[in-house]
Formats: sequence, structure tokens, C-alpha cells
Amino acid sequence: MSATFTHRVLPYDGVDEFLAGAVPFLGEGLAAGDRVQVVCGLGLEVLLRDALGDGAGAIRFSDAARWYAHPSRTLADCLSDAEELDGEGRRLRLFGEPVWARRRPLEVLEWQRVEAILNIAFRGTGAAIMCPYAATLPPGVVAAGRRTHPETVRGARAVPNPGYIDPGAFSARCDREPLPPPPAHADELKIDRPDLYWLRAYVAEYARRTPLPDEDLQRLLVAVTEVVTNAERHGAPPLMLRMWTDAAEDARGDPAFVCEVSDGGRWSAGAGFGLVPPRRSEAGACGRFGLWAVRLLCSLVQIRTGPAGTVVRLRLTLPGPLSDPVPGFRPGPGDGG
Amino acid sequence: METPWFAKRHVSEIRPGDHGWLAYSGFEERDRVIGPFVREGLATNEKVVYVTDAPADRLPGLGAGADAAAFQRSRQLRVISRRDACLDRAGGFEPARMLDTLAGEVGSAFGQGFRAVRITTDYSWLLNDPGVADLPGVLGCEHRVGDAVSPSTMAMAVCQIDRCACPPEQLAALRDTHEVLVEVDPEYEDNVLRIVRTFAPDGLRVEGELDAARHKAFEDRLARVSVGPDGRRRGVRLNLSRLRFIDLRGLHLLVRHAVSLDGDDALILDGLQPEVENVIEMVGWHRLPGLARGRDRVPETEDLA
Repeated sequence: MSATFTHRVLPYDGVDEFLAGAVPFLGEGLAAGDRVQVVCGLGLEVLLRDALGDGAGAIRFSDAARWYAHPSRTLADCLSDAEELDGEGRRLRLFGEPVWARRRPLEVLEWQRVEAILNIAFRGTGAAIMCPYAATLPPGVVAAGRRTHPETVRGARAVPNPGYIDPGAFSARCDREPLPPPPAHADELKIDRPDLYWLRAYVAEYARRTPLPDEDLQRLLVAVTEVVTNAERHGAPPLMLRMWTDAAEDARGDPAFVCEVSDGGRWSAGAGFGLVPPRRSEAGACGRFGLWAVRLLCSLVQIRTGPAGTVVRLRLTLPGPLSDPVPGFRPGPGDGG
Repeated sequence: METPWFAKRHVSEIRPGDHGWLAYSGFEERDRVIGPFVREGLATNEKVVYVTDAPADRLPGLGAGADAAAFQRSRQLRVISRRDACLDRAGGFEPARMLDTLAGEVGSAFGQGFRAVRITTDYSWLLNDPGVADLPGVLGCEHRVGDAVSPSTMAMAVCQIDRCACPPEQLAALRDTHEVLVEVDPEYEDNVLRIVRTFAPDGLRVEGELDAARHKAFEDRLARVSVGPDGRRRGVRLNLSRLRFIDLRGLHLLVRHAVSLDGDDALILDGLQPEVENVIEMVGWHRLPGLARGRDRVPETEDLA
């Protein structure tokens, strides 16, 4: 494959600037026989169909709310498509705008992280990705877009983006803020037995008292097992498990079942956070698989590691409603029980 | 259709009163059930009654190291020919004679100082030997053997049959005259995980929960069963219908194993529970090369035939 992977931001203010960037990008793909995928809202779709005329028939349009359903899953699926097409000698051409304006802060952060990480993940696939950023978006979103795209579109040209920073560094900045401490009603358990059979039974018993659906429970158990196994292998005592439900009254995220595993160790600088999906070709190899799969299984995974230790916090969105604390479970140590 | 009631037991769990059934797919499977059945009886002061025309030292459990002749001299091992056990003068099957033979052996056992009697025979010849084949006779006989063994505090029986000896509906009819289905002892068992060798199809049944604490045990068994008689690393089937949990490293272990198989062989996962399959689907079958989704779960009794 001769084409090189590109990832460009199209900042636009008004219809003309939007079309001036989008139409040549899409037209070029149609002419080259690329798979052309457009992910946007209905308004932009109408605009593009109108501008491209008959050519629009060969374009796959997808609804943004559905396409951008889950940062890790969308990234993995899209990378899979790109690899598959690359294997066939074709190019994936994606023109997409995550629904920035309607997302909660925690989600926005994860989508921004995806914008950065895909620069690593798609390397060598030949995919062409262009992301329109409306001038009407919150300033923070536009500013982050300039840091996560190596190139900026100016009319029909692409120029290097001086604001672009290393994806790993960007991702680290996403995690600069400490996690809010677990609430006082969180259930806390010290993990000191290496067999995790009993731990899953414990987590399941707690989760059953929350509105967590059964199918999510199994995902949670798989995720917790992986994270604890990781901590047992590479971390340092004490290993702690904490669980609670978060009503998300500050609306930073959705109401969620939260489960965190902490230990006294610090991850080495080279440790992956499971952000980059493994390639098909390396599916048999170890390493990236575990934590990456944990991200697929949970709604959100937050990791903080430093001199004070490491915390991996798993969030699974709950259908609600919540009652705090979780009823009928043993009182936490903080409650004097 | 009325679902028959069965207990499924590993051979070492067979107890007096059990009228057991073993439909085997090959001599390896047969020997791995009947071998322990015979050996454990001889090792624990129980009488073993084997109705067969094969020589005693060629029977399962009586190979190298076992002194069949000595056991026969002490009457702890009774190898009774078909003619002596259950044939009439014309060479036809005579169920009443079989029952008398067995009753005689059981009746004398206590006086001989044995605390229990293990009975076994292979019925296959009664179903497929020309001139002898007598399904109604065998069914009638099995019912009465069952009636004699079940209330007994001394006798236990394992009736063997080659799965291919008769059509499936006959096999099912014969099976239904037994209360206990006998299978090989587990390859591995603790209170979290059990691994059982399966023979039709070739593979393993994995029950319970699989995580890092037992990966090694599982990997060893999987490697062993994957070497075919010709030394080829072959794809086998894993019956996961009773696997409640598998961790990500476990899935990864399956993938590593599957991609190392010879040729295009795949590792086939049968009977996945919905929760487990849901996790696999979330990760994506296409990211798990070499693994293939096999059969859906089947009702418990259907895989027992």
C-alpha cells in the first residue's frame, strides 16, 4: 500500500469552509476507490449529499451518536476495518465528527484521547481520517483538536499543525487531574488471597444489589479479574478493592457502578495503558491484549499511577435509579461496622 | 417426550447399587473407564466379575504389573466366558441365565470375604453379531439387572457398549435402562475447576471457572489432548457448556494454542454459556484467531447418550 496514514483536522466556520475541506477529501476517495465513510449528524449529511451529487451514493453515512458509541470499541472496530481494507489494497477514508457538544466531561476527555491515540493505532494502515471541528464548539474542544491532529486542512491543502503533540504526552495530560476519592460509603476489601474465585463471588454479591444488568456483571467480573491478576503479578501490596455506585450528581459522567483496584506499586514508564488496540497480526502475542480488552468491557477505565501507588478504576454505566449506599451489604470499615 | 433421569458419575464415584452405563467411542475411552473400575475393585478387597471371552490378562485394568492369575486363584477376579454366563446350548442369548450367573457371584461374595462386587460386561456383540443380535432380550435383561443391582448394598455394575454397535435409537433405549451414566475420571478437579476428557468428539469438557490460578493445569491437559495418534497437533473441541467464567488470559491462552495447531485446524468451542459468549463477542471473534464457535448448548440429557 503506497498511501500513508493521514489524520487531519478541518476547523471551519460556516458552510463554505466546511465544504471547501470536506468535498475535495471525499471526492478524492471516491475517485481512488476508497471505502468512504462519513459519520455526522443529519444536517451535515444533507449538506454533503447536496454538494457531492451522484457521488454521494457510494459513501457510507452513519449516525454519529451510534458510530461514536464507545471510545475503545469504536477505535477497535474502525481499526479493524482499516486493516481489513489495507489487506485488500484499499484505503479507509473516514470523515467524522464525534458529537462533542452533547457529551459529559468524562466522555469528552476519552474521545479526545482517542483522537490522539489513533495516530499510533492507525500507523501503517493507509487510512485517511479527517475530523471537522466547528468554530462554535467549546474552546477547549477546539484547542484539544489542534493538539491531536498532525495536520490542519486549509482549503484543499493540508499543512503541518504546529500545536500537535505526542499522543502519549496528550494522553498523560488527560490523566493529570487526580481521581475524586471514593465516597465514604464505598465497600472496601483487602485482597490477600491469590485465588480470585472468591473475589468474583464477592463482587457479584455486591453488584446484585445494584441495578447493574446481568450481562454487564459478567463483563465486570472479567475486567476485575484481569486488573487484579495484573496487580498481583506486577504491583506491590496492599492490594485493595473498592466498590460503590456513583449517582454522578455533578454530571461529569453517567450514573455508574464503580469498582477500583489499587496497589502500592508504580507502573513503569513503558507500561501500556491498554489504549492501543492490538493488531490482527499480533493477536497471538501477549502484552497489549488484557488491559485493552478491559476497556472494551467497561464503559470507562481510569488509570492513575505514581509514587503513591496505582489505581485502576472501572466504571460501568447503570440504568439507574440508585440508592446510596448499596443496601443490605456489609457496612464498610468507615462505618464502624 | 419424557426426559429420563440420570446421574452422571466419574468411574471412581461408582458405588454399590449403581447400575452404570458406558457407551464408548473407542478402546482408549473404554479402557480409561473400565481400567480404574477393575483396578480399584481389586485394590480394595472387592470382587470383580467380568463376563467376556477375552483372556484375563488382556482385560482393561489387568495389563502390565497386575497378576490376573493370582486374583483368579483367590476368586477375587472372576472372568466368565459368554458361553458359561449367558448362552443356551444352541449358542443363543439367554437373559435368565445371565441373571442367575450374576446372582450366584454376588450371593457367594460375602461368604468369600469380599465387601462388594463389581460387575462388568460388553454387550456390543449381543447387538451386532449375526445370529445372536437380540435387542429385546438385552433390554429385558438390563431391566432385570437394574432391578437386582439398584437395591443392593454390595453389587455395582457397568454395562459397556460400543457406540457404533447399534443405531442411535437403540442406543438410547438401552441407555434408558440404566440410572447412572459412567464416564472417565476427571483429568483435573478441585472445587473451582474440573477438566474431563471427552472422546466423541475428541476434546475436553471444562466446568466451573478458569482463571490464572488454573491456567497451567488447563494448558497441560489441552496440550496433551491436542496431540493426535499420528503425533499431529490437531484441533479438538472444548465443551464449555458448564464453564461459568473464563478470564482474558484464559481466552488468550486458547488463541495461542489455536494458532500453533498444525494445518488449518481450529479449536472449537461448543456450548458456550450466554454470559461467556457475550464477553467473547465484546472482544470480537475476529480478534481471536484459530477459535471457532461450535454447537449451541444442548439440554443436559442429550449430550449424555
